[in-house]
Parts: sequence; structure tokens; C-alpha cells
Amino acid sequence: MSEICGNPALEADALMPRRRKFDKTKACIKCKVAQGNIVIRHAVYCKACFFPHITFKFRRSLEPFVNPKPQGPRRTALKPAGNLLVGFSGGLGSTILLDLIHRCYVASNDPSNPTDGGRDHPRNEKVWRKITVCYIEISDAFPGMEDRRAEVEDAVRRYDGLDFVSLRIQDAFDPEWWTRTGGRPGFSVLNADLTSEELHVAAADLALPPLQALHSHLASLPTATAVPSTLQTLIRLLLLHTAASTGSSHLVLGTSLTSLAVSLISGVAQGMGFNVREELQEEWTPDEGPGDGTENDRNGDDDARVRSRGSVRVIRPLRDIGMKECAAWAWWTGLKLVVQAKQQSPSSKQAIGALTKDFIMGLEHDYPSTVSTIVRTCGKVAPKGDVIGKCAMCERPVPRGIQDWKSRISIRSRSKPDPDTDAPQEDHLSHPDVSSPDASLTPYLCYACHTTLTSKSSRATPTLYPLQSKPSATVLPIWAGSRLFDDDVFAKKLKMDEKEMKNSVADFLLDD
Amino acid sequence: MASPLSLKIEFSGGLELLFSNQRSHRISLPAHVPSPSVKGADAGLGRSEQEQARRPADIAYLIFWLRDNLLKEREALFVEDGTVRPGILVLVNDTDWELEGEGEYVLKDGDEVVFISTLHGG
Repeated sequence: MSEICGNPALEADALMPRRRKFDKTKACIKCKVAQGNIVIRHAVYCKACFFPHITFKFRRSLEPFVNPKPQGPRRTALKPAGNLLVGFSGGLGSTILLDLIHRCYVASNDPSNPTDGGRDHPRNEKVWRKITVCYIEISDAFPGMEDRRAEVEDAVRRYDGLDFVSLRIQDAFDPEWWTRTGGRPGFSVLNADLTSEELHVAAADLALPPLQALHSHLASLPTATAVPSTLQTLIRLLLLHTAASTGSSHLVLGTSLTSLAVSLISGVAQGMGFNVREELQEEWTPDEGPGDGTENDRNGDDDARVRSRGSVRVIRPLRDIGMKECAAWAWWTGLKLVVQAKQQSPSSKQAIGALTKDFIMGLEHDYPSTVSTIVRTCGKVAPKGDVIGKCAMCERPVPRGIQDWKSRISIRSRSKPDPDTDAPQEDHLSHPDVSSPDASLTPYLCYACHTTLTSKSSRATPTLYPLQSKPSATVLPIWAGSRLFDDDVFAKKLKMDEKEMKNSVADFLLDD
Repeated sequence: MASPLSLKIEFSGGLELLFSNQRSHRISLPAHVPSPSVKGADAGLGRSEQEQARRPADIAYLIFWLRDNLLKEREALFVEDGTVRPGILVLVNDTDWELEGEGEYVLKDGDEVVFISTLHGG
């Protein structure tokens, strides 16, 4: 027996033949003539067939959901209820999304380039009256991160026919922004104590500057995972409220198939399983603002206090398009990304989101079909349980019995439970608990948001802001104050007297 | 002795930040390069250094050459387990390297190799 039996350096057939990454031949699977240029999940496409293929997948994911009612078997004209808002981050997905939106809905309607039927043919009517691109700058949250707003605006201005609006992440804590976008008045500043699971809340007299409030909120989060999760929630809500204020009935995001698989798996790992469907596609309705819901709201007037009352449909049209296809599209069309050189924070690599991304990227490399299986499977699951309200932080549906469940599955204190005083906390949204003296945020949160605020890490998390001490209470985003303001039980517990309540809404009261 | 190969290398999708923030590079590689030797195998077969096996320069070699000569920072964002990190698309003369045999594709003079990162998603 040879001592070096099976040595691949010496025996040509010692290694098992590598499995091919594509089926059958290298010829394009569509035209069957040209040599392929790219492999997409074992299927080979040439460059000429690649572009129509991706455009088709984009339209197939978006257009059935443009009309308020779903399209039946016969395709009808696209007539959305309002305008379109495009969430843009400068990354790969949103760069491709913007390019596709412009090609399909702006450039194709160029009056100097009429298509079949002539300029006035109904086929050539604009689908979207107004398309706005919204960018949210997050660099203020992390020391040393560069502001990319100017570069992003340049990238967007290369396309004609699009409006541009930019926000800063700290607007989530800015009462003035909230008022400008027609947000419902409420408690302008609420602080929550994160040291206990009840998350006791107190109203603050003075609002911190928005940037300071943002830093206070992020610095008080208990784990490395909580920071990017919170940022995602803040960005999502900022986009939704911007959509409502611009009269947009649709918000499109550049989440690719790969990114969607990452967010679904990492979301489930953080307790977001009940809202898996919302992560794929959701219908969000703003709380009624001061606007009167007239036609003017739908046209996206600049009047700051007028806001659309219709729902905003959140769609991810790239959900069938992988990151690899996005990269090929960007390269072959010469698109430039706006890339942030610095990572968010030293601890961001430890976060569940980052670890999930590494896992999914590896999966896509070795077993490309599994990533689309993840997304398809998540689209088929339906959560059990009644919806009893909207979460104060993320405004997604809240199921019944969250705190009951938590008390059953985890040891939450070292002392022996006393059946008289340690009864599971009721969901306030369905059973108002007037006996507890303190205003607690816990009953108003979904499982994922409560876990984000209370989960304890066994490892010490590096501080985001080394020069600041960790705050004892955290400022809540402005919309949380608005939602909680309407709850009588909560307001009573907050022990605000009538005079204080009047002061907080003084600007909105009519003169006697 | 074959003449060296002149190659055009492009980085995109944020990868250029690791390579002196420069998108386009022109490099020269030898046409034949040492094969990765198995420990003790050459000695066991009585080969000297001069007789060590050589192979035509392929993309697998190019990746390590780029790591050792052009990469300025954060090696883990480019190379992992002997090849490019998952999430990096490689195009050889405008064609997916998966159609050309990935790391085993033998480089020719004038080839263009593009490395595109997909890690800055969203």
C-alpha cells in the first residue's frame, strides 16, 4: 500500500471532480445561441438576455401591487392611489432599484421618445405622478463616519424626473421634524428605564437636542445586536412617515433576495417571527394627523401639516434578484455606488445581523438555491395568534400574550415567584391594567422590540461613545410619544395634570 | 521562457477601498508560477527546488498575488479559505468566472479580471 495513497499532488484522480456551477451547457438558456456571460442559480444567461430577464423580475414583483386592489387574471392599467417614494441608501440594491425605476417609469415616458401608439396613447401615460427619492444619513450616530449626503444627492440628480429629500437619523427624536411632516401631537419627550423589564416611563420637561437624544438612545441599548436593529427600525419609520407626508401610496426599498434572506433569518433570531410577513411586504397606515384627508393630500403638497390618510404599501421589487445579479447589472451599466468606508461600530461584527449576513453569503456561494428557498418559505408561513394592536416602537402588529410567553420560557428573577404579586403582565392593549402604579412601556411593545431593549448580553459590549457615560434612561423616538399619548390608562399613570397636558399641545389648540 | 502576462484588474462595489482607493490597475504576472507543494512530497520524491512543479498562472494564483502585492488593508474582506471571500463576483473578460472554471482558469495576455463586492447591500 502506498504511503501517499490519495495524495492529490501526485495522483491526478485522487480528488472528486468538482461539481459544476451551471446546468448543461455554457450557452444562454433563453436565446440558446450566444455564449453565456453569467450564471444565476445554475442557469446561464448571456448579457443581451440578462437585462430583459432582470427587468421582467423587477416588474413582476412590483406591478401586481401597484393598484389598490390586487390585479385579477387580466392585466389592467397601473393606477396607484398616490405617489411613489424610493428609499435610497447608496448601496448596491437601492442603486439598482433607482436605475430600474427610472428606466421603467420615467425614461420610458419621455415625450421626446414616444413608443408605439404615439405620445398620447394610454399605454404611455405616466404611472406615477410624482417619484421622490428619500435618503437617511446615519453618520451622526457613529463617531468618525463620513457624511455622504452630497454624494448621494449627486447620484440621484443624475436621473431626471425625480425629487430628492434627505433626512438625518436623529430626526426620529426631533419634535420639529414630527410637526413638519404632519405627525400627530403627543408626549414630545418620553424616557424609559432600561434597567428593568417593565421599562418604566417618565415624561421629561425638556427635550434634548435630537443628536444628543439619538446618542443617549443608542448608548443605553444593552447589546451589540440592538444597535443595528434599532437603526433599521428608526430608518423604516422615518421612511414611512416621509411617504405619508409626500402623499405616497407606495414605498419601494432596494432589498435584494440575498439581503431579504439575511433580514428574515436575523429578524426571526431576534424574536420578529410574528412579523415575517411584514418583512416581505407590509401595508402601514399612519395615525390620523391634522390633515383633512382631501384630494390635496394625495398630490403631495408642500403644506407641512397636510398628510395623506391612506395606507403606504411597502414593496421590495428586487426580492427575486440576488446580490450577484445586482452587482453584474451595476458593472455592466456603469453605475457607481456610494460606499461608506468605515463600519458602524467596533462591536457591529458581533451583532446577529452581521453574523447572519456572513452565514447567508457563504450559503449563496456554496448552495445558491437555498437563499431563494429561505425567502419562499418565509412567504408561505403564517403566524398564529390574534393581533391586539401596533407596537409603540416599530408600529408592527403585536400578538396577544407576549409577556405570558416570556414568563413561561425564561427565568427572570432569582427570588421564588410569589403567585400573588408576580402574576404575568397582561397585554395592556387588550386588558387595561389600572392597578399597577407605574407607566410601563412593556405592554405596548412587540416581542422583538421588547427583547431589543431588555436582552442582556453575557459579554461586555464596547461602548459606542467612549467619552460619554452610559445613560440610566433612554429617550424614546417621537412617534412612540404620539401613540402613547392617546392611551388613557397610560396617560393617567404618567400623572400629568391637565395643565401640563395643555402645555404640550398648546400649539395645536384653537383660541377660545 | 514564456513572456510575462499583462493583465487589467478592476475593483468595484467598494473593494477599491482596500486597494489604495484605485479602481483600475495594470499588472504583469509570470506565465508560469510554482505549484502549491504538499509538505514533504517534493522531498519524498527527491525533487530539488529548481525541479519543483510549475503550473500556468491561473486566477487562484492571481488572487494571492493581489493579496500580497496590491492589497493595503483588511485582508479578510478580500480573501477567505484560499479564494475570494463569498460575496465577491469575479468576471473574466466580461464573463462570470464560474463559467470559466473559477480559480483554475488559465490567464492569457491581455485578460481583464474584475472583482466586484456585493457586501455593501441595500
